[in-house]
Amino acid sequence: MTLVIVAASVLILGAILACLVPSNGHRAAISIVSQALATALVEWAVLPVLFGAAELRSSFVRPPPVDEVALRVDALSAFFLAFSLPMTLLGSIYALGYLEAYFKKARHVGFHFALLNLTSLAFILIYALRNGLVFFFGWELAAISAWLLVIWDYPNQRIRFAGFNYLVSTHFSFLFLLAGFLVIHARTRSWDFDSFAAFLHQPSLARSVTFVLLMTSFGLKSAFFPFFHTWLPRAHSAAPAHVSALMSGVIHKAGLYGMVRVMTLVGEPEEWMGWYVIAFSATSAVGGVLYTAAQRDLKRLLGYSSTENVGIAGMGFGIGCLGLTWHNPTLATLGFAGGILHVLNHATFKCLLFYGAGSIYRMTHTIDLERLGGLAKKMPLTALFFLVGGVAISALPPLNGFVSELCIYAGLLGASASGVARGLLVGTAAVLAFVGAVSALSMTRAFGLSFLGAPRDPTATAHGEAPRSMLFTMALHAAGVVVLGLVPATGLSLVREPSRFVLAGAAPSAVIEQALATPLEILAPVARVGAILVATLATLALLRALLVRASRVHVTWGCGYTRVSPRMQYSGSSFSAQFRAFFGAILPLLRREKLPIGPFPATGEIKTHCVDAVERRMFKVLGEGEATIRRLVERISDDARLSFAAGLAVLVVVMGVVVMGARP
Amino acid sequence: MNAWAALHVALLLVGPIYFVGIVNRTKSIWGGRRGPRLDQLFHDLVRLLRKEPVYSETTSVLVRAGPLVALATAIVAAAIAPVVSGYSILSFPYDFVVFAYLLGLGRMFLMLAALDTGSAFEGMGASREATFASFIEPAFFLTLGSFAVLSGESSFVRILAPSGHLGAGVIFGFVALLIFLQIEAARIPVDDPNTHLELTMIHEVMILDHSGPDLAALQTAAALKMFTCAGILAAVLNPFGIETHPAAATVTSIALIAATGVGVGLVESLVARLRMSALPRYALVAVLASVVSVGLVVLRGGNA
Repeated sequence: MTLVIVAASVLILGAILACLVPSNGHRAAISIVSQALATALVEWAVLPVLFGAAELRSSFVRPPPVDEVALRVDALSAFFLAFSLPMTLLGSIYALGYLEAYFKKARHVGFHFALLNLTSLAFILIYALRNGLVFFFGWELAAISAWLLVIWDYPNQRIRFAGFNYLVSTHFSFLFLLAGFLVIHARTRSWDFDSFAAFLHQPSLARSVTFVLLMTSFGLKSAFFPFFHTWLPRAHSAAPAHVSALMSGVIHKAGLYGMVRVMTLVGEPEEWMGWYVIAFSATSAVGGVLYTAAQRDLKRLLGYSSTENVGIAGMGFGIGCLGLTWHNPTLATLGFAGGILHVLNHATFKCLLFYGAGSIYRMTHTIDLERLGGLAKKMPLTALFFLVGGVAISALPPLNGFVSELCIYAGLLGASASGVARGLLVGTAAVLAFVGAVSALSMTRAFGLSFLGAPRDPTATAHGEAPRSMLFTMALHAAGVVVLGLVPATGLSLVREPSRFVLAGAAPSAVIEQALATPLEILAPVARVGAILVATLATLALLRALLVRASRVHVTWGCGYTRVSPRMQYSGSSFSAQFRAFFGAILPLLRREKLPIGPFPATGEIKTHCVDAVERRMFKVLGEGEATIRRLVERISDDARLSFAAGLAVLVVVMGVVVMGARP
Repeated sequence: MNAWAALHVALLLVGPIYFVGIVNRTKSIWGGRRGPRLDQLFHDLVRLLRKEPVYSETTSVLVRAGPLVALATAIVAAAIAPVVSGYSILSFPYDFVVFAYLLGLGRMFLMLAALDTGSAFEGMGASREATFASFIEPAFFLTLGSFAVLSGESSFVRILAPSGHLGAGVIFGFVALLIFLQIEAARIPVDDPNTHLELTMIHEVMILDHSGPDLAALQTAAALKMFTCAGILAAVLNPFGIETHPAAATVTSIALIAATGVGVGLVESLVARLRMSALPRYALVAVLASVVSVGLVVLRGGNA
C-alpha cells in the first residue's frame, strides 16, 4: 500500500514541477517521467493482487466528517488501476507529437501535462479508496481535470461550449452520486464502503432507490444513451485527440467501475436490478451505434461508439446480476468476466482509434469524413493501426472485441432460464448482433472514406506519416488488441480474479472455481479458429504471390464515363443514406440547400448534417421549460378536478416522506 | 470421425461448383435453354487464375487483401457449418456466433476493397451490403437462439441436429434462414447476379474492379458461402442423425442441398427482384419470422 501512496506523491510532485520549470520540453519530460515512475510503482503493487495475492489494506482515521479512510486494493480495483495508469502515460507520450506545434510557440504546455498527472492521481483516489467523501474528491478531480483538458484550445467558442456542456453533465452525475451516497449515509452515519455494504445487503425500498440513483450517476458518467450521452460527441470532437482517447477509454471507465462496485456492495441483487441494467445498457448500445452510422466528424463518430460500447459492457454486468440472483455462478461469471474484459478491450481499441483520428487531424488539419480520402497511401502505418482498431471495435474475430462479446453472447444464449426470461435473453443477443453489424458498417465507412479512394478535397491531404511518438503509442495499443484477440487466455487471466471477487460468497468456492473456468473453455476453441484463420490467410497470400507474377495498372471502371473526378466518389452521407432513412425518426437529418435555378444557374449548394435527436429535444424542452410549466400551472388552477388531483398527489408525497423518514 | 472429416472436405471442394451449376442449369431449363455444364464454374475459375490482374491506379493494398480475407473467412466458416447434417470439422460451443462474425469479417474487407477503388458505384454497393447485413444479422441470431432453446444445445451442428419433429417454430426459423441465404449469397429477390446495370447491383458492383486470381477468389468465396447456407437449410430439414442412420443422413443431406439449388434456381426464374427500397422490409420479414419462432418456442416450453 505504501507503494501506491508514494506513487500518488510522485504524481503530485510531477504536476507541480511541470508547472514551474522553464522550458516546454522539460515540463513534458517531468510529467512523463513522474507518470512512468508512478505507473511502475502502482503496477508493482497491484499486479500481484490481480493474479491472486491478498488484497492491500491500510487505513487512517481523520476527524469527522471524514471518519475512517480505508485504502484498499482488491482484485477489482487492481484491474482498473492496472490499465488506467499505463494508458494515461501512453496518452501523455502521444501528446508530445500531437502538441508539437505548441512546444515551439509561447504556449505553456506545463499545465496540460500537469492535468494529465492529476488524472492519474484521480484514478488512484477513485479505485483505491473506500470512503464516500474521498471518493467524491477523486470523482471531482477527474471531472475538473478532464474539463480543463478538453478546453485546451479555449479561444475557440465552440470548444468552450463543448467543455461547459461536459462540465454541467458531469455535475448532474455528481448530484445523483451525492443523492445516492447521502441516502446511505443517512441510514448508516458512516462514509465507509464496508458499512455501505452492510446496509445495501438488506432488501429495502431505500436500497432500491439508492441502486437506481447510483446506476443513473454512473451511467451519466459513462455516457449512456439516451439523456446521458449528449455532452459526449461535442466534448470528444472538441478535445485534443489524446484527451478524447483518455476520456473515452480510461476516465469514463470509472462509471463502469462504480456500477460493478455497487453490485458487489449489494450482495445478492433482486431480479429487476439485472433486467434494469440490461435494458438501459441495450438501449445505450443500440442508440449509440445508430448515431455512429451517420456522423461526418470522425471523432464524434468515435464518441458515439463509446456510448455503444459502455452499453455492451453494461449488458455483461446485467447478465452477471441475473446470474447472481438466479444462483447460477456460470452465468454470473460469463456476464461479469465478459463485461469487465470488454472494459479493457474497449480501452485498448478506442484509444487506438482516437489516436488514429488524431494522426489524421495532425497531418491534414481536418477530421471531416466528407473531405478526406486516400490517406492509406500517405500514412500507411496509421492506416494499418486504424484498421486494426476498426476490426476490433466491430467485434470481428480474431481481434479482442470478439473475445469479450463472445462471453456475453454465451451468457445470453446459454442461460438456463425459464420461458419468457429465456426469450428476452435471446432477444438481447439479437440486439447485440445488430449492434455488431451496424458497428461494422460505421467502421467500414469511417476507414473507407478517410483512408481509401482519393482525397475528396485536394487540400485535405497529408504530406507524410504522423510523428514517431504518436506512432509508438498506436503501435503499442494495436499490439495489445492483437494479443488480447489471438490469445484470449491473456485477457481472461486478467479478469479471473476480479470476477472471483464479484462472485465471492454467491456459491461454495468449489462451484465458483468451476464457473471461473467456463470462459476459458468457451474461448479455447475460438483461439484455435483464430489461428486457423491466420494460417489460411497466410496460405492464400502465399498462393497468390506464386500465381500473380505481374499486374497492370489502369483507371477505375467508371461505367463508361471517362471524366471521373474524386468529388464524384461515394460520400459519407450517401454511404449511410439508406440506413439512416430507415431510422429517420431517431436519426434526423438537417438539410440546408440552395439549389441552382433557371436555365443558366450560378452556384448552388447543399449541406446535410445528422443531428442528435435527443439533444435537440432536450434543449427544446429546457428552452421552453418555463413556458410549459406556466401553462401547466394555469391549467391546474383553472380546472377543479385537476387541482384536486394535484393536491392529492402532493399530500401522498408528503405523507410518504414523513412515514419513510420516521422509520429508523 | 476421420471419414466424416474427409467427407466434409470433399463436399466443400466439389459441392460449391456443382451447386452453382445446379442453380444455373435450373434457370436455363426453365428459360428453354440447355445451359452451361454443371462444372462450368470450375473452368471459369481456372481461366481466371491464369490471367494477369489489372489494378486501378487509385487503389492501395486493401484491394489485394479484400479477396484473400473474403475467401479465408468463407473457408473457415464453411468448416464450422454443417454440410452433412450433424457433423462439421470445427464444432464447439457457440461456434455459430463465430460463423456469423467470420462472414462479417469477410464482408467488411470486401466492402473496403470496393471503397478502395474510389468508384461511386462500388461505394454504393458497399453501402447496400452493409445496410442489409445489419438488418439480417439479428434474424440469424434469433433463429439460432430459438433452435438452441429447442434443442438445449450450444454448437451449430448440435443445434440443427434432427430434433424429430417439425413444429411451427422450426418452420418460421426456416423461413428466416432462407431469407438469410438470399441476402448473404446475394440472390434474387434481393440481388440479381446476372444483372448488367451497375446501379441495380449489390454484390456484383463491389467486385467490378477485381480481375484475374482476385476475382477467382471472390467467386469461390461467394459459391462457398451459398453452398454453406444451403447446407444449413438442409440440416434444418434433415430428419436423420449421423449416429443412428449415417448413410441415410449423408444421402438426404446431399439431396436436400441439391434440392435447395433447384429451389434457388426456380425462385430466380419465377420471381422478379425486389425494388431496392423494399429490401429493408424484406429483411424485416426474416426478423419477424425469427421473433415468432423464438416466441413460439419459449411460450410452448420447448415443444414448438
